[in-house]
Amino acid sequence: MVLLPAAKALIWQKWDDLYLVYQPSSAETHVFNETSALILASIERGPRPLASVREWTADRLGLSADDLVPEEFDLAVTRLEELGLLDRGDDTIAAE
Amino acid sequence: MNKSAFENHRAQQLLLTALRQPENLSILTTMEWDLLLRIARRARVLGRIEVSLANSGQLAQIPAGAANHLRATRNVIEHRKTLVSWEVNRLLWALRGIDVPLILLKGTGYLLAGLPPAAGRIFADVDLLVPENRLPELESRLLAAGWFRTQIDPYDDRYYRVWMHEIPPLRHRERGTEIDIHHRLLPKTSRLASDPDTLFANAGELADPRLKILAPADMVLHALVHLFLEGDPGEGLRLRDLLDVHDLLTHFSDLPDFWKELIPRARGLGFQRPLYYGLIHLQQMFATPIPATVAGELNGLAPPWPIRPLMARLISLALLPEHPDYPRRSAAIARWLLYARSHWLRMPTVLLSKHLARKLWLRIRGARKRIDLAQLDLKQQ
Amino acid sequence: MIVGDLDQQEFAEGLSGVGLCIQFGPFNLRIHSNLPTFTHVAYPLYAPYPLFPASQLIDFHIQITSPPGLRRWVRRQACFALDGHFPFAPYAVDHAFPALEWGINWCIATRAHHLLMLHAAGVERNGHAILFPASPGDGKSTLCTALIHSGWRLLSDEFGLVRPEDGMLLPLPRVIPLKNQSIEVIRQFRPQAVIGPEFLGTRKGTVAHVQPPLESIRRAQECARARWLIFPRWIADAPLSLTPIAKSQAFLLVATNAFNYEVLDQASFRLVAQLVRDCDCFTLIYSNLDEAISTLDQLAPNCQ
Repeated sequence: MVLLPAAKALIWQKWDDLYLVYQPSSAETHVFNETSALILASIERGPRPLASVREWTADRLGLSADDLVPEEFDLAVTRLEELGLLDRGDDTIAAE
Repeated sequence: MNKSAFENHRAQQLLLTALRQPENLSILTTMEWDLLLRIARRARVLGRIEVSLANSGQLAQIPAGAANHLRATRNVIEHRKTLVSWEVNRLLWALRGIDVPLILLKGTGYLLAGLPPAAGRIFADVDLLVPENRLPELESRLLAAGWFRTQIDPYDDRYYRVWMHEIPPLRHRERGTEIDIHHRLLPKTSRLASDPDTLFANAGELADPRLKILAPADMVLHALVHLFLEGDPGEGLRLRDLLDVHDLLTHFSDLPDFWKELIPRARGLGFQRPLYYGLIHLQQMFATPIPATVAGELNGLAPPWPIRPLMARLISLALLPEHPDYPRRSAAIARWLLYARSHWLRMPTVLLSKHLARKLWLRIRGARKRIDLAQLDLKQQ
Repeated sequence: MIVGDLDQQEFAEGLSGVGLCIQFGPFNLRIHSNLPTFTHVAYPLYAPYPLFPASQLIDFHIQITSPPGLRRWVRRQACFALDGHFPFAPYAVDHAFPALEWGINWCIATRAHHLLMLHAAGVERNGHAILFPASPGDGKSTLCTALIHSGWRLLSDEFGLVRPEDGMLLPLPRVIPLKNQSIEVIRQFRPQAVIGPEFLGTRKGTVAHVQPPLESIRRAQECARARWLIFPRWIADAPLSLTPIAKSQAFLLVATNAFNYEVLDQASFRLVAQLVRDCDCFTLIYSNLDEAISTLDQLAPNCQ
């Protein structure tokens, strides 16, 4: 999974447990929860396989990889991909 | 010259001078600015004036009130540019794995290819040209990826699909930008021939190999066809579209074979007349440099007398915006005549009279023309 | 010079001639009208507003006139036009004044994209402003009207105009359209308030316009900085409560309600985030205007 240029330009404002995020490439403002923010953070330094992103995100949330609700994680990844912020790369085939 | 003719002449000269010699804009008085803003807005060239001023460092020297209007225009334009570029980005993503050439037309092409007309130009929709046999695949892929067919009445849907050169616009459920997908430059019914295959063969490639733009001569000709054949009876011919052609000609004139190929290509596509009218009015209005060899050949493209002087007069009337306080009936008639002519060139006569009658009826009913204020999203309570 | 320096006949002649140049906050308008139904209502309500000299740029050239051509003899209607274009269906001639006021809103909302335009009422005291972002039916106009008749200065009833360069609020103290029951509520609350005639059966129900206090109009060029974001809600018989609201929620309420949040791209995000960071954010539930005002009055001294 790889972070796209659009994600590197995001502008973040954290309030309470929510992130208000402005995406200059699309002129959209998003509201991200901790999970979405962590998924993006996990690939900030370079691409990772999907499983590793899941593990890292769960760890940061204080959960084990199994405790991270799969639907929530998958939904977040799909959504971030739709927004043009990340690319599943080879994982796409596995996911489809 | 009566008052109305005088005021219209004054306003139009002010506009043309501002477009031709933007380096002198900072000497305008406040009252001249007032008129220039109104007439330039009507011609949709406010953004272009803003860019000229910004490039020549004059923005700080004009009246603050005028600068506010120009700033507002720039903000809207920059926003639209972001949306159009992003829509193309998402389009490529939705079509990943499909190797289909997408020719970006008009503003979308200028913007993504970084061509001069993109500066200060407002962008409405994404315009694409795709091979007709790839349409079903493309449309179904987009519909599956969150785009939907915009609501249009059944008459319009049928009109699009049976007669037109494009399919009804698509829009993504989360975004406002419409995508117009064309499969030829003019309707199937058009009296002007236009074979799309050669357009694809000649097209240039952008950074993403699936994205293409028309070859220089084709791009100029398409801009002219769009100008003369896709009018709006209320608005007339768009001066802004003529300026696009001015920019393109100036930009492409450095290419070694550009001018040599232009007239033969126009003949090949059946677009001689739009080229003739375009070049004649460009020379008159913007003193666009045209090589003597091309200028010499122009007469060979011209319509016979008395069409020639009649069209020249109608086109001038329809191209130049009217002074908002002194509208003239002659200009309104010219706009309507050219609109009817553009439809005549695009459609068989029986269909045309049906279509125009319907449009007229809609106009009388006020269905398209006027909006109920209460429906506008003014966020009033 | 102000409109009231003209007598009513001069006012009518000015409007029906080349038009009168009247200034509303940051906007210069040239208004043309040949309708007595407009001039009679507009003269007293516009009396305190400044006329500006012809040497200044006009932002909007507008008119409210009888229909062009033969139609004027068939139906008595009022048509609004901007720069010679008629964007809307005609109005009943008796509703010419509210029609023009709505037309002005439309001009501002569709053109003034050099500013961030929030949908909010605003009042100011001692240099500090309260913004009341709107949501339909919350009675922000009523609360705003009551406040400006209780020592607060009117910034605006409809448009929270934010200047992108410094985040300051630009006043736009126009007449306030009160709707339905609010009209009687304000008549009871301040009998001396200047209220125009009631227009029955408009698209918003019954409407009457309140003239802002003269001081608000005089100080229309004095900017203010927002200090509080308050989301008001009128609920019958509810006890008064002023409750802090999460910043993230305040951000979303302000951004999603603005007229042109989308248009200004990153500047909007920056400005709304700054506004929410700088302001104390509350929801205000009230049923009694006096109670609401005294609660809001208590906010003000704390920030001297």
